[in-house]
Amino acid sequence: MPENGTTPGNGRGNGSILEIDDLHSYYGASHVVQGISLSVGAGEAVGLMGRNGVGKTTTLKSIMGLEARTRGTILLNGSDLSGLAPHVRASRGIGYVPEERAVFPQMSVEENIRIGALLHRASAQRECLDAAYGLFPILAERRLQLAGTLSGGQQKMLALARALALRPKLLLVDEPTEGLMPVNVELITQAIVRATEAGVGVLLVDASFDLVMESCSRLYAMDRGVLTGMLRPSELSGADELAARYLGSVEA
Amino acid sequence: METQIILQVLNGLVVGSSIALVASGLALLFGVLHIINFAQGEFFMLGAYSVYFLLRWTENYVLSVIVGTLIVAIGGGIVVAAVVWPLLQRSNVLTLLATLGLGLIIQQLAINILGGDAKLVPPPTTMSVPIGPVNYPLYFLIVMVVGLAVLVAGSFALKYTKYGIWLRAVAQNRSMAAALGVPVPRVFVAAFIVSTGLTALAGSLLVPLYGVYPTLGTDVILSAFIVVVAGGMGNLRGAALVAILVGEVQSLGSLVVKPSVMQVCLFALVIVILMVRSRRESVLVRL
Repeated sequence: MPENGTTPGNGRGNGSILEIDDLHSYYGASHVVQGISLSVGAGEAVGLMGRNGVGKTTTLKSIMGLEARTRGTILLNGSDLSGLAPHVRASRGIGYVPEERAVFPQMSVEENIRIGALLHRASAQRECLDAAYGLFPILAERRLQLAGTLSGGQQKMLALARALALRPKLLLVDEPTEGLMPVNVELITQAIVRATEAGVGVLLVDASFDLVMESCSRLYAMDRGVLTGMLRPSELSGADELAARYLGSVEA
Repeated sequence: METQIILQVLNGLVVGSSIALVASGLALLFGVLHIINFAQGEFFMLGAYSVYFLLRWTENYVLSVIVGTLIVAIGGGIVVAAVVWPLLQRSNVLTLLATLGLGLIIQQLAINILGGDAKLVPPPTTMSVPIGPVNYPLYFLIVMVVGLAVLVAGSFALKYTKYGIWLRAVAQNRSMAAALGVPVPRVFVAAFIVSTGLTALAGSLLVPLYGVYPTLGTDVILSAFIVVVAGGMGNLRGAALVAILVGEVQSLGSLVVKPSVMQVCLFALVIVILMVRSRRESVLVRL
């Protein structure tokens, strides 16, 4: 776990993969993200918590370059991403797992995974596929099936497997366990934990207590476009407190 | 009569496979970029002219077809990309009008520079092959085989190659493809070049059949549009199959009715196909 010193969440250097300073994003006329600063270290998963509509998804999209108008600095391994197209950011090592409409419905499971792996040499592509199938055996069983015919949970696994096939240094994951059965939540959690163990930095938006507790070393709270606090999962007593403090509701 | 039928079936395959090349070029551009390229026919015409001029220079037919296709593919692809690029984020009607304008410009330039008369190009071989009771020109059999081979190769490329997978990904979800590292601008340019190239190839292969004149593209593009609409916009396999069907209907129909009546029947056929298709929930883009 990285030492953050006196300014938690702004730990410079020390293997920081992602560093965001004073990020603003605009969606049409509305100012969705209003100056957030955070960092994600190598091998560290960081949670971004908050109610719906406070700007978590917009933050992830801004890092990926998918939001039209942003301001502020985003550093990946120390190099500035501003002005770069999404595909360039991806090739620099960012994997993105969006909340919905993620898979290519009319391509097979294997083709979906290969898209990410295509950036690598031919020999590495096979390893990427095998790694994905190792994490999610159900995808290996369905490898020739069209992705659009998978269940919602399987599509979420596929979206995560596909982003991992890029072999990213930083993984942006948006609500990977939303609406999933517990057994699938467990698989997703394992995949994310293993990614961090391999040195990948993860910025995670999710409301699942189990996933957050098992993978994240720090949690940021976000409300109406700004970060309102940071703490470690060990400081939480249980799911209810997580919900009360960060999700603004009683039920997790 | 039997001789006539066999002859027209073969003619239908020749014309059909060429229309299929043009139509799959249109379908590709629509599938990936949601662009309807009205200038497509002009690249058929330019492909034909390129063979006419290169042949005088190189005196080698195969070389002329290959070089001509490549020149028109790359040059045309870049021109279309340049015209359409600034309009990509805007309304589709704008790209449609822009390509229509581009087509008119190319056609008028061709009339001014090359003259309105038809240039004739003899087939590279006058040999014919006996097929049943018919002696069919070898060259048109080659055209048919090349056309179908390119279509089959293209569908394999779309299925298995890196750019093929990227093209399909971009067609289905552009921003998600970009987020996975697919170089979207490069894929767009590739789509423009391949689309133009398929059309130019058809034009250069078919010169000995029609000759070449500045408005040649207009006559061809109509059939190709019919095919693309009926086959399902953006659906390459559908377009290829309907193209062969249209070629056959045109050729065999000419045994029974006048060509002008045939054209009317073709439109009627398209209307019927569209009515049947609209009953199903049709998938717009399927590469």
